[in-house]
Amino acid sequence: MSAPTESASPGATAPGDAVATHCPYCALQCAQTLTRTPDGRLPVEVHGRDFPTNRGGLCQKGWTSAEVLRASDRVTTPLIRTADRGFREAEWAEALDLVADRLTALQEAHGRDTVAVFGGGGLTNEKAYALGKFTRTVLRSPYIDYNGRFCMSSAAAASNRAFGMDRGLGFPLADLGGADAVLILGSNMGVTMPPFVQHLAGARERGGLVVVDPRETVTARLASDDQGIHLAPVPGTDMVVLLALTHVVLAEGLADLRYLEERTHGFDAVRRSVASWWPERAETVCGIPADELRRTARLLAAASPAHGGRGAYVLTGRGVEQMTQGTACVTAAINLSLVLGLVGREGSGFGPVTGQGNGQGGREHGQKSDQLPGYRSISDPAARAHVAGVWGVEPESLPGPGVPAVQLLASLGREGGPRALLVHGSNVVVSAPNADAVRASLSRLDLLVVCDMVPSETALLADVILPVTQWAEEDGTMTNLEGRVLRRRKAVDAPGRARSELWILGELARRLGVSEGFPDDPRTVFAELARASAGGVADYSGIDYDRLDAGEQIQWPCPSAAHPGTPRVFLERFPTPDGRARMTPVDHHAPHDDVRADAPTYLVTGRVLQHYQSGAQTRRVPELAAAQPAPFVEVHPLLAERIGLTEGEQAVLTTARGTATATVRLTESVRPDTVFMAFHWAGAGSANRLTNDATDPISGMPEFKVTAVAIAPARVPVEVTAP
Amino acid sequence: MKVVVIGHGMVGSRFVDELVRCDPHAQVTVLGKEHHEPYNRVLLSSVVSGRTEAGSLALPGAPTDRVRVLRGVAASSVDRDAREVVDATGERHPYDRLVLATGSQARVPGIQGIANDRGLLPGVSVLKDLDDAHRIIAGIPKARRAVVLGAGVLGLEVATGLASQGLAVTLVHHHGRLMERQLGDAAAQVTTGSLRKLGVTVITETSVAHALDRRGVLSAVRLTDGTEMLTDMLVMCAGTIPDTALARAAGLPCERGVVVGADLASPADARVFAIGDCAQPPEGGTGLVAQGWEQTTRLVDSWTSAEVAGADAAPAAGDADGLDPTNVVRVKAAGLDVVTMGLSGKFEHGERELRAVRMSDPAIGRFVEVVVSHGLLVGATVVGDKQAASELSAMYTRMLPVPADPAHLIVRPLAGAARPAATAVEDMGDDHTVCQCNSVPKGRIVAALGDGCASVEDVAKATRAGTGCGDCRSVVAALIAASSGAENPGSPSRDDEMSAPALAGA
Repeated sequence: MSAPTESASPGATAPGDAVATHCPYCALQCAQTLTRTPDGRLPVEVHGRDFPTNRGGLCQKGWTSAEVLRASDRVTTPLIRTADRGFREAEWAEALDLVADRLTALQEAHGRDTVAVFGGGGLTNEKAYALGKFTRTVLRSPYIDYNGRFCMSSAAAASNRAFGMDRGLGFPLADLGGADAVLILGSNMGVTMPPFVQHLAGARERGGLVVVDPRETVTARLASDDQGIHLAPVPGTDMVVLLALTHVVLAEGLADLRYLEERTHGFDAVRRSVASWWPERAETVCGIPADELRRTARLLAAASPAHGGRGAYVLTGRGVEQMTQGTACVTAAINLSLVLGLVGREGSGFGPVTGQGNGQGGREHGQKSDQLPGYRSISDPAARAHVAGVWGVEPESLPGPGVPAVQLLASLGREGGPRALLVHGSNVVVSAPNADAVRASLSRLDLLVVCDMVPSETALLADVILPVTQWAEEDGTMTNLEGRVLRRRKAVDAPGRARSELWILGELARRLGVSEGFPDDPRTVFAELARASAGGVADYSGIDYDRLDAGEQIQWPCPSAAHPGTPRVFLERFPTPDGRARMTPVDHHAPHDDVRADAPTYLVTGRVLQHYQSGAQTRRVPELAAAQPAPFVEVHPLLAERIGLTEGEQAVLTTARGTATATVRLTESVRPDTVFMAFHWAGAGSANRLTNDATDPISGMPEFKVTAVAIAPARVPVEVTAP
Repeated sequence: MKVVVIGHGMVGSRFVDELVRCDPHAQVTVLGKEHHEPYNRVLLSSVVSGRTEAGSLALPGAPTDRVRVLRGVAASSVDRDAREVVDATGERHPYDRLVLATGSQARVPGIQGIANDRGLLPGVSVLKDLDDAHRIIAGIPKARRAVVLGAGVLGLEVATGLASQGLAVTLVHHHGRLMERQLGDAAAQVTTGSLRKLGVTVITETSVAHALDRRGVLSAVRLTDGTEMLTDMLVMCAGTIPDTALARAAGLPCERGVVVGADLASPADARVFAIGDCAQPPEGGTGLVAQGWEQTTRLVDSWTSAEVAGADAAPAAGDADGLDPTNVVRVKAAGLDVVTMGLSGKFEHGERELRAVRMSDPAIGRFVEVVVSHGLLVGATVVGDKQAASELSAMYTRMLPVPADPAHLIVRPLAGAARPAATAVEDMGDDHTVCQCNSVPKGRIVAALGDGCASVEDVAKATRAGTGCGDCRSVVAALIAASSGAENPGSPSRDDEMSAPALAGA
């Protein structure tokens, strides 16, 4: 087998041919080689492919990704709800006519705003773009948002405020390898994107990996044996750790004052705001010894360029972002990075670690309630005029901003709220917070249409399910966690009648009276996306399929065909009005739903290696399902002893919103005041029945990561009052 | 609403900041007698010890034009009938509500010779404000010896701070044990031992009676027992006295501090409030900034909540047992970890059902005591155990339930528990997961080796082990070595692993 290159031609390949593409799952987008196996049980064989990000590595999810192509319950034909609450198979024409007729009738009766769209961070750039355009120009509804709101919104809000731009990691991932220190807050990439760990080797070798996580995760263990420091704060207090670290850097005269003077604005207010967070005070709030905080701050400072170090990076993940103070928390991480003089310097930096496969591209091209393609604001008249010009519509015809995901879901079927919802690439009844309430919201709809490749829990509630292509069955582009634009390439045809969402949107548009502007060829859509993004923050206008297929590695912004892309951003200036990074003072507050007498334990949620997001794909892979078959709750032995729980027993967890049942796993890797659940399952053990849908005031991010919970053996009923 | 705040320290400045943020209509005048901007007074001892730069102490200033700050202007009197505050320049400041945040003063003990008509004798100081700190710091380079009077929290911090800068420090304390309000005998003894190791000599049950000078500069002190000792510096850390002068003069009830109710208002005047060190709330003042900040938040909440202000104010933090989550006392000193919270030292059990469990380990300078009531931590004393101190204070301030046996709070840290050492490959069971990323157990790798795999790459191809993060490749190499029975397998060091080529082609 000859190793395929990036220039492998697109389209379905002949038997035996190898196709270069990327993994269907997370934002690391590991490079894969798919080899067509016409006689095999599965249509392709998957191998890791050398690439700057994964260096040939794949995790178990990636290795087994071909299984989802032939999931036994794959949806292969449109399905229409029957009177007896079942589904019947239908032709495309019938299903699309039905959807178009219902949408038309609802909009005529209740106005354009009665239809809403919910997208996903796993959709290709082309689909995300087309979905936003469809909502704004065909439905002409303001109501579109997506599950990226649950993923990157706090990091995006904080980055945009501080830097004028959010590109996730503003540097190639491989740059991490040269640093003396890497500070990781609330990310468990050792489990969520294992090949990432290769880039931490340098920092570990030099004792500089710092992991902040209430649990002793796989990633936290990478810092053991003098490879770094693990700080395990009380859940919800990562912010305090950051404020105290910044305090120490300033109190001990370790800040990069020249950098602050030349490249930032607002330092004085931040300096004053952290004066109140001396380490001993922080200790009583976050539970980390003051001297550990000092040692960590000194380690980071020693690694910084101002002190002659090889460089330091600060990375944030959902653990610190999925909070009602998520934007502030990321801002605190940015402030620390700026005080150390790390951002916009080769060899150092700050960046949030994007989660979903196309979490980066998905937030750039118009799926967000307040954005147009190119990371433009829908409220900016110049942005509206530019995009309307590309779309061939009047700027006035474009709707204004909608509402963020949690608010959108809560408003469904309510007075004045949308009565129809189109869902693309999201399984909200498992992945959204306060899932019981989300289920109730969907039940209030007059029409729910779900595009999916498998009968997800959300799809099963739909009036119409439309079968779509996935990963190895389609062409497109994905933008990875470093803002690198990658080609997804088709290796095989989709089974049955599954079609690309690009085709579906075009067909629906035609039925709704818009016959132009929705081609089903991804290359054509990308070319239009590039034009629409021209001049925007996320400028793709110099990128095309030919350049990508020729093997060019392009990170945006890339404003012209001659431009090589931008591996490292902010080296000269920040894209803010005065070219400086803006520092904003922030302070800590307790979680919205904090521990109290009748709910005295923290619940934190996260992931396991074998499952991705709501598990709709990975629970259908036998090897993955066998390794992680069912919901569980991690409990410290001391907590278990106090409340009478034993290993393997069923525990009932109750919060102010709901109840879940899960199997007890005893472990000392979780704090005794905290229990942990992974959120990949539906049903009685679904963690998001417990999580809090209170949101961050700036980003709209819900507080998935911390809530007060009561936990008891399944036989003992418990009631919990509202916070 | 016109609000006058007297005092622009840590509590006064935070109150103003929070009030104008929460109440868009508040118009505030602040009188601050110091010429400095508000700063973090708690860290003065860290400045003296050289651990914190004085420039990093500044706190957020007046945030909006709705706040008028008069810096270096003391209040002279309060005219409650006219509802006006008169300042030292004679200007009158009308108020709808008056907040006293005047703080406290350093207590200056009666020591002969410490002062002359120009103030304290050069070489003698208290440590209450930034000017004091600068004065002490200025004296350090030419000082060889220092006496610190008073072994409370501040005294310990100053003594260790001066010792860390090379001074020979004697800590003189009137009581038989250090920090007698917080520590019992055993804890105090352990602390004394730790101080000795840091270069601080502790003398108890005595005090300084005379300050002796040479050409107008401090040269020695004589203790009450007659001992005389040479010293270049005397720092008096003999406690504080709430600053109640204005309130007393205005006829407001004062005891140790300005008496206020649970609503933080004076019982004699519903328009006058007191917060921070100057106040004496029903539960008593602790002199801790955490208490003042908690009062700040509570007062702003009660003023800006929908209910009629003052009528239905929230009760003080804590519960009926008198558990006060802000009552955590922490000594800030390099090399000396002393933390107490709630019930500590010599406390009365009263009617309560209390369990007190302690560990005393003086040889290594460690002492931990926890006090538990009805499943909650109601007090603790920790000396020389950073991890226990931080975990217990996080638990105490949140009133979290304790383990069934409170001894678990002492005998092992609560988080970051020691892990078993890495298992040798020989000791792994066949179901031991070697490759986490691909769920590959040892048994499958051993089987692959039996099938002829001879290298890490072979095993990766056969089992996928090592093809994720790559971290287990050294374990796979060790398994290969073990199965081949080689004497010296040349198992790759970490360096070899890290420089190993990419996983491509696996």
